[in-house]
Amino acid sequence: MSLLVPDFLILILAFGIFALDLLKVPAKVLWNVAWLSLTGIFVLLNTLPAGMSHEWMGAWELNNLGLLLREFFVFSALVVTLLTRRYFFANNAQLKRLPEFLFALLVVTFGSIVVVSAKELLTLFVGLELATIPLYFLVAWNKRCSLSAEASTKYILIGSASTAMMLFGLSYLYGFTGSLNFDVIKSQLSTQPLDNLFWTSAIFIIVGIGFKLALFPFHAWAPDVYEGAPTPVTAFLSVSSKATAIAFLTILLYGPLAPIHKDLDFLLLLLAAVTMLVGNLGALRQSRLKRFMAWSSIAQAGYILTALVGPANIAKPAIVFYLFVYAFSNYLMFWIISILESTRPTTFSSLQGLAKQYPALGAALAVTLFSLAGIPPVAGFIGKLFLFGSAANAGYYVFIIYAALNSTISLYYYLQVMRAAYVTPGSENPQALAITGFDKGVSLILTLLVLLAGFAPWLSNNIHTILQTGP
Amino acid sequence: MNLASFPIESYGLTLMWVIPLLTSLITFAVPARNHKRIKIISAVGAGLNFALIIGLTVRFVQVAGLAQINTPELFSGQSAHLFFAMNVPWFSTLNINYNIGVDALSMLMSLLTGLIIFAGVFASWEIENQAKEFFTLLNILVSGVFGVFISYDIFSFFLFYEVAVLPMYLLIAVWGTGRKEYSAMKLTLMLVGGSALIMAGILALYFESGLSTFDLNALAAHPFAASFQNWVFPVMFVGFAILGAMFPFHTWSPDGHAAAPTAVSMLHAGVLMKLGGYGCLRVAMYALPEGAKLWMPYFMVLIIYNVAFGAFIAVRQKDLKYITAYSSVSHLGLVLLGLGVLTYTGLKGSALQMISHGLLTALFFCLIGMIYGRTKTRNIDEMGGLLKVMPFLGVAFMIAGFAGLGLPGLSGFVAEVTIFLGAFQNDSIIMRISTVLAILSITATAVYVIRSANRMLSGPIQIPAHAQLTDANWIERIPVILLLIGLFGMGLMPRWISNILDTSLNPIFNNLMR
Repeated sequence: MSLLVPDFLILILAFGIFALDLLKVPAKVLWNVAWLSLTGIFVLLNTLPAGMSHEWMGAWELNNLGLLLREFFVFSALVVTLLTRRYFFANNAQLKRLPEFLFALLVVTFGSIVVVSAKELLTLFVGLELATIPLYFLVAWNKRCSLSAEASTKYILIGSASTAMMLFGLSYLYGFTGSLNFDVIKSQLSTQPLDNLFWTSAIFIIVGIGFKLALFPFHAWAPDVYEGAPTPVTAFLSVSSKATAIAFLTILLYGPLAPIHKDLDFLLLLLAAVTMLVGNLGALRQSRLKRFMAWSSIAQAGYILTALVGPANIAKPAIVFYLFVYAFSNYLMFWIISILESTRPTTFSSLQGLAKQYPALGAALAVTLFSLAGIPPVAGFIGKLFLFGSAANAGYYVFIIYAALNSTISLYYYLQVMRAAYVTPGSENPQALAITGFDKGVSLILTLLVLLAGFAPWLSNNIHTILQTGP
Repeated sequence: MNLASFPIESYGLTLMWVIPLLTSLITFAVPARNHKRIKIISAVGAGLNFALIIGLTVRFVQVAGLAQINTPELFSGQSAHLFFAMNVPWFSTLNINYNIGVDALSMLMSLLTGLIIFAGVFASWEIENQAKEFFTLLNILVSGVFGVFISYDIFSFFLFYEVAVLPMYLLIAVWGTGRKEYSAMKLTLMLVGGSALIMAGILALYFESGLSTFDLNALAAHPFAASFQNWVFPVMFVGFAILGAMFPFHTWSPDGHAAAPTAVSMLHAGVLMKLGGYGCLRVAMYALPEGAKLWMPYFMVLIIYNVAFGAFIAVRQKDLKYITAYSSVSHLGLVLLGLGVLTYTGLKGSALQMISHGLLTALFFCLIGMIYGRTKTRNIDEMGGLLKVMPFLGVAFMIAGFAGLGLPGLSGFVAEVTIFLGAFQNDSIIMRISTVLAILSITATAVYVIRSANRMLSGPIQIPAHAQLTDANWIERIPVILLLIGLFGMGLMPRWISNILDTSLNPIFNNLMR
């Protein structure tokens, strides 16, 4: 039971903040409570032993993958909490609403944890919804901003449509196998002949999750939503929400759907192939940073999907490692965007002359861009190599060539950002950016993480070891 | 600590790439306005590293020479024998090791790199604009290049190679000349496109072999099915050949080298482009011999285009950097030609040409950088009579030109003759025709070398301002003299290089012919 302590702590923290806010505890205090507790929970999770596989009431499970992903989601929530400081502390009206924001953030995080703990379909579905519904409200944070309202409307409509499809698919799966439990579904699928009913269900599930992951052709909401949402929410959306969907797919494909996993390879690779191409082509024409990051995230989801065709022992470490790397790089990028945002518009042209004016910030930007593009020695390279390695292990060599060439296309637009920051001369008297010591500290840590994960093996070796341990 | 007791054999190779990395970190920490200090730090770093590499080479020649006499069986097998080897686990997820070591070829290439970068730092002495960033990036680039030559795990080979790409874009786009942004983007994208193919090939080797290792020797010993080799070889070969500027993938090279700042041109044309041939030899041909035998005759058609047409295009150019860049395309074609003929002499010629052309082209770009810095033009029609005002640079330019057209006594002759000898040993009809065409193109080389030297150096001075120009100062003479020593040394005493190369090429050739 003690293994469940971190999960409960998240819930307690969420509702604690909610309650303390009602008692008029100052928002800054709650913010400090939030990030300190999240750090504590993260440390606590790291002390949990690997190799345990515990199950509660046939619905809730804690295994190695779940443990790692828990750490991931708590880490992600921690960074976003830190990121809110710049956004909320400047303005008193906003500061008052900060506790609500933190509450929603923590509920989403708990939802993600439910997804990675689920042992049966209903829990899985509830977790997914828990990780989505508060986001609707977060995207609409700036009520009076029409962009934010538009984004939220789009997100709600598309999100609920995808939920409906997912539920439809899950119910067919239940109908086909007669059980919600993963183990029963798995054994049913390996014995029973598959018919059209089953394939309908599989396709609907993948379509439903495709919306959440912004896979082609369900990606069109992403640029508008990313652009309209406040920057901390965009950052959170691009990392945690995407990771939840990936975790969902990973758990299904290597759990209950494992017997028919091979048959879905073609569909997965097709989606991956089109998604990365569309994401890359979309990003080529952008001039606004947040839209640009939306397209880049679409392409990244395509790369991650590639790994899902491999065998579990290669695919799981590859995916978990890449999620971490992706989180480091994306958060660093959004941190830089949020620094820009307080004094300048978030377009490429705001970056001009940045590297000369602020060499350290320029270096951080270079590190994150190269990581997203997958150029060594930064972490994106080795992460992508693991992802592609997983597909190569399944024998899809030609697909690897395609995916690797795609990341060459992506290099073009990442270099466009580099060009803005490094090559294009800025104005004579550039506007100063408001960079606090806090910004410097966090972005330095994120930069170091991106760098170190690239050539120091600690992170990937740890993930590998944890996933290998035990039953 | 006693310097002589330093365990150079265990840590020397690692230090080779760590020293430039540290230099880069130190220069990044120095305040930006302190140009002089940054340059001195870089020079000291490059000098230290060069000294270290000379030390290593001397030790290598002793050890390998003794081994060649005492234990010749080490080199007669099919597996490369590594010196100063070190193998420690790195990323356990895919069983990646930090597996380093050198054989004769990589040792000599490292020596070449050390020399070129030492020269390159002095050739960049004039850089004033953002000098700190320039030297920081340059040193990261160098670190990557050294890493490539010592890697025997294909993963780290690839990783280090790509590290060299990272700073390249910025070095050209910020400090370059002419159409620098376009050229930088073209170069980076084409090279990364090539490495995408290489990466796919590497992963295919890894998983197809089922050995769970990236160790090159282990993979080369694995008998891959012929059907597998037949499709992976062209993928990998093209990946490396893009880097080696094979037609029709050569277009990044003239633009990129013309736009790049001097030190980057020197390093890129001098060393990085050799990685194309080096990778073909060391990875593609070594691990996939059957594929090589099947495909090489077809690739020969493209290679001949390089050798012959590269030279002819150079004849038509007026810009000095473009002339040199196209001559590089032609000379690198010879490297690939030597590999493509699949004879032992050909391989050896190819290895010699990598080293010789490295020295030669670095000298060329170094001289052009200095001449351009003075005349402010690279168009040979606008120059003339420069030998009168800058005798040192003029004479050095002529010597470099002669080395390029293969004058005996200079390194180019040794390499080219060996390649052509090797090419004639292969008596298939395609190879015969290719060889004859390649040899004929030497004439075109003579045309552009002599013509451009003639226009630039002799005759009346075209632009009056040129009469006031000065010759090279002492800082600038250092790199020129060092590179000239290399050219003459290799041209007059080719035997020691040629002999020691046997230790490295024999296993590859045996593997190829198994």
